[in-house]
Amino acid sequence: MRVETVRGRGPHSTSLRAGPRHTFNIAKLLMAVLREIFDESAYCRFLKRTRTERSRESYAEFLREHEILTARRPRCC
Amino acid sequence: MLSRGGISKSIRYLPFNKLRKTLHILVWSLFALAGAVSVATIALHRGEEINAMWLVVAAVCCYALGYRFYSSFIAAKVLVLDAERATPAERLDNGRDFVPTNKWVVFGHHFAAIAGPGPLVGPVLAAQFGYLPGTLWLLAGAVFGGCVQDFVILLFSVRRDGKSLTEMARDEIGPVGGFIAYAAVISIIVILLGVCALVVVNALKSSPWGTFTIAMTIPIALLMGVYLRRLRLGRVLESSLLGFILVMLAIWGGKWISQTPSMAHWFTLSATSLALIIIGYGFAASALPVWLLLAPRDYLSTFVKLGTIGLLALGIVALRPTMHMPALTRFIDGSGPVFAGQVFPFAFITIACGAISGFHSLISSGTTPKLIRRETETRMVGYGAMLAESMVAIMATIAACVLQPGIYFAINSPAGIVGQTAESAAAVISGWGFPVSALDMHSLAQSVGEQSLFNRTGGAPAFAVGMAHIFSNSIGGQALMAIWYHFAIMFEALFILTVLDAGTRVGRFMLQDALGHVWKPMGRTSWYPSILVTSAMMVAAWGYFLWQGVKDPLGGINSLWPLFGIANQLLGIVALCVATTIIIKMQRARYAPVTIAPLAALVLVTFTASWHKVFDPNPRIGFLAHARQLGSSGGNARLIFNDRLDAVVTSALIIMVALILVESVSRWMSGLSGRTQAEVRETPFVRTRFAEE
Repeated sequence: MRVETVRGRGPHSTSLRAGPRHTFNIAKLLMAVLREIFDESAYCRFLKRTRTERSRESYAEFLREHEILTARRPRCC
Repeated sequence: MLSRGGISKSIRYLPFNKLRKTLHILVWSLFALAGAVSVATIALHRGEEINAMWLVVAAVCCYALGYRFYSSFIAAKVLVLDAERATPAERLDNGRDFVPTNKWVVFGHHFAAIAGPGPLVGPVLAAQFGYLPGTLWLLAGAVFGGCVQDFVILLFSVRRDGKSLTEMARDEIGPVGGFIAYAAVISIIVILLGVCALVVVNALKSSPWGTFTIAMTIPIALLMGVYLRRLRLGRVLESSLLGFILVMLAIWGGKWISQTPSMAHWFTLSATSLALIIIGYGFAASALPVWLLLAPRDYLSTFVKLGTIGLLALGIVALRPTMHMPALTRFIDGSGPVFAGQVFPFAFITIACGAISGFHSLISSGTTPKLIRRETETRMVGYGAMLAESMVAIMATIAACVLQPGIYFAINSPAGIVGQTAESAAAVISGWGFPVSALDMHSLAQSVGEQSLFNRTGGAPAFAVGMAHIFSNSIGGQALMAIWYHFAIMFEALFILTVLDAGTRVGRFMLQDALGHVWKPMGRTSWYPSILVTSAMMVAAWGYFLWQGVKDPLGGINSLWPLFGIANQLLGIVALCVATTIIIKMQRARYAPVTIAPLAALVLVTFTASWHKVFDPNPRIGFLAHARQLGSSGGNARLIFNDRLDAVVTSALIIMVALILVESVSRWMSGLSGRTQAEVRETPFVRTRFAEE
């Protein structure tokens, strides 16, 4: 799932409304949650922001930038 | 003014609206009724075992009612959430740390950050009082305390461009408040890490199976790090799945290790050896690059955590186990073997995460406010995620209480209380009215692949046995009991070691920031001498508490878990002081009781508990009384020093929090009396572009 589908849209795009696409929407949303928790979306955003391709160099650069945020993020007891 | 079309439309839908309103009232009345019946059953049922579903129904109903009515009251009347106001995620969107994100995604992210080992360990330890005190505290504490704290701090941070709790304390209360908040945060991190490490040591000591499994998670995390950086760039979910499969293989391999004497020998470690290894590990994890160890472990831990919590919930609902622990035990009088102290105040500091945890305010004023897309979503993320964590704590209570009480106490009682041999421990525990035999415990230990389950204090082994008991009734039966037990141990230890990695590093950064004011180069976070010195300082601080716990003849948990609980709840007091100050400055003083009530409860609990821990004449409760007892019997000088140190740490924390409390109250009084102009330091209003949605 692309990050754009998660960002910048209203609650209706991913709400738990009944309908033919109900199950698909839930699965899509769940995947989006996991991708955010596991920083995959953050890497996609990085690629988009820096206009770079997926590569070892870009990932190393992303990790360097992300390290500052991750390392200061407390984990609760 | 309504248009003609509008009027006709509203008239056309009038019967439907009425029906909907009636249905709404009916559904919520049913929730209230079911909740009242469940809570009454839990509270009043005596002499017979009850089904765990009563706890689940009580929790679901109380949390649903709390969310629907209390949180919406806070949102509308107290905080006046503004759907038109742009959040920092929108205004400062940089695609890096400020990112407007879907509310469900933020909810998952926030829940993953706040749910750690605390809601699992605390309720297991508090089960020594029976299931009732812990359950009631979880229900009321979460709805009226913890959720409120997380919600208001998240909203206030959102309105201040994602400022941290310490920054808000400095801006809203004053420089003393800011300094105390900073000191409280670093103290709680040190004590938390020491206690968490002790829980791991107690879970893994003399357990070659568990030790091997956890040892394997280190190369697995390193492999994941290399996999992510070299082979499959950024495919974290994929690498976490791979890591999970490898961990499952390690659990399976652990059985072989434990049954092969020549191999088991290498992984059968004493508590002191494990403590030294964990201290060394903590230092290495803090100094190594994040991508190599910390980040992959974090991903792996989160992956296992989310899956296991879901699995446990399914297991409890599907199997509806019976709880064997009574509602109240004789230990509410303070003579409990797990930790000493009466049900009030000790049940309330033993269970922090799950009811109210000051640590959450750091998350609510950390990453989460920078992801919130619309102000109105803070209710679901702040209040809702805490309810989900409280539900996890309810499940932990169930896991502990499905055990026979004799088994629960045999696992959780230190040798200093029940004796060194299995026979003496079984005799003492049976004498308390909770029958258990050495043979029962031996066969249970064999069924979970351990040499012994006596004196396994810390809560983690009892939780693992309870979880294995629930799972083995559904999948695989007794044959898989050992696998489930070691899966639960691995899950908890992995959780805790991740907290240890991240906490040491966060503490290191805080120290570097502080020391940078004294000598500039120390503030450079990438300067290796600074990294090594501050990592060593941090590890030495929590390592000392760990060592103290390992050497404590009463098992360490008796003195350290209450100390951790006090520190955590004191941070909650700081957060609620900040919240109340802001509410009063917002000219909404008449609604201040929403935060003052949990604040008053926490002040009462923590100050009473601290007084007991320092001055109580019972040597099992009071640090100073214990030091005196050791002194008069010619006890170890180190143990006497440790008791005095714990007394000093507790007193220092209490004095600091008393100061912030006094400063806050004086601000409230001067604001209310009009002596000073109350100035709310919110960022100016900007209209959101999402308003039309």
